[in-house]
Amino acid sequence: MRLPQFEYLRPDSLKECLLMLEESNTDARVMSGGTGLLVNMKHGVIYPKRVVSIKSLSELSSITKDSEGNVQIGACVTLSNLSKHPLISQKFPVLHNAVRSVGSMHIRNMATLGGNICLETRCWYYNQSRQWRQAKGLCHRTGGSVCHAISGSKRCHAINSSDTVVVLMALDALVYVMKKDQERSIPIREFFKDNGAHNTVLEEGEIVASIVIPKTAEFTPAKYIKIQHRQGIDFAIASIGAALKRNGKAGEMTIVVNSIASAPVMLKKTSQIIMESGFKEDAILKAAKEARSEIGTLTNLFSSAGYKRQIVEVLVRRVLYGIKDEMDLRRDKA
Amino acid sequence: MKKMIVLNVNGETHEVAVNPWKTLVDVLRNDLRLTGAKRACEMGTCGACTVIMDGQAILSCLTLAVECEGHLITTIEGIEGPDGLHSLQKSFIENGAVQCGFCTPGIIMTAKALLDENPNPDDIEIKDALSGNYCRCTGHIKTIEAVRMAAQTDREGD
Repeated sequence: MRLPQFEYLRPDSLKECLLMLEESNTDARVMSGGTGLLVNMKHGVIYPKRVVSIKSLSELSSITKDSEGNVQIGACVTLSNLSKHPLISQKFPVLHNAVRSVGSMHIRNMATLGGNICLETRCWYYNQSRQWRQAKGLCHRTGGSVCHAISGSKRCHAINSSDTVVVLMALDALVYVMKKDQERSIPIREFFKDNGAHNTVLEEGEIVASIVIPKTAEFTPAKYIKIQHRQGIDFAIASIGAALKRNGKAGEMTIVVNSIASAPVMLKKTSQIIMESGFKEDAILKAAKEARSEIGTLTNLFSSAGYKRQIVEVLVRRVLYGIKDEMDLRRDKA
Repeated sequence: MKKMIVLNVNGETHEVAVNPWKTLVDVLRNDLRLTGAKRACEMGTCGACTVIMDGQAILSCLTLAVECEGHLITTIEGIEGPDGLHSLQKSFIENGAVQCGFCTPGIIMTAKALLDENPNPDDIEIKDALSGNYCRCTGHIKTIEAVRMAAQTDREGD
């Protein structure tokens, strides 16, 4: 598989980069690690005229603490550097675990956090060779008007497989995005759209510049689990992140599941059960049952909808027991 | 349009003209005739194209050659020392961790990156590092043993 031809641009500064993107309109794709984009380009599912490489932009490659103590992670920080950073491994061990679960060591050395958040959605019928796709008939994503995953659907149902977003959503991180003469921050919980073909709220010419994890999320009892066929390196069948954030006296429980739909799913009703009843045995079992019916999922990427519901129930149970154990341990230590 | 770039591979500089869509593995194999790194899955799944760039194991099939300027690249051809084969190469031979040998350069480069950073890895760390490398004939037990033995040899040698 060869890469298709394209024009390669490497801006020297963030300002120049935003200008290039503004001028290129829809013709350009941003590349940081390249582990996602280049694979899709080899498969011929994406064929941009221009590739704007942001890998070497130093403005986007650091991990810093702002004056309020929030941790700011540049979009081009590699997953390896992120997982090795003492700030992350000590204060947000759950994020460390999620980052370590992505790909292999090689991929983590190349892939970046910004890239993982903006990961292209994937689908059984879409991530195939060109001939395969054409034989099946073009779908919403490839210029047609059908969805092979859910026949009759008016939109694309490709799956969001990012591993890190479940944790970032549970920790209530912010995504800082920029375009020429404009910048804004978006809570990551509002960053995704439930549409496989356009699954983020990023506008044309806009890039993710950094991800900010609030200081209030430090040392939060939290848990992350990923289920995958091949333990060493694989996309998830389902991944889950949960955190119990202290909010005054009461705890604010957040549970997020991904790899089951086009956007990560926040399990609000499930979390509500725990917030009302605490981590009692029967509340945990009830919450896990609730998760099963709360998620919307489909048969795509690695398993049937039925199996995904079953696995989500198990995952919810495991993260809740995990958080309960962590809190018990902390209480014993104190 | 081709661009002239200077690559530093195994301590030598090479000037090559490349198209931006050329991956590093193609330039290494076709232009520099360094055929140790292999083209296999080309999607980042198998690890056969692994080389070391600035001390880190990376996949040369998913790296654009134009992005490698100014970086230090090491391939399997460049790890031999003045006294002959690298300890990892010797250990792979002694442990029978090479059968057809296709995946071996990728595995050795991954293992070298691991041992350079962590000279005393336990089995879990070795497995974790090598989990991005497929081997379809030797299997993975002997490769793990070979890495463990090379680490031990290096430690005793110091």
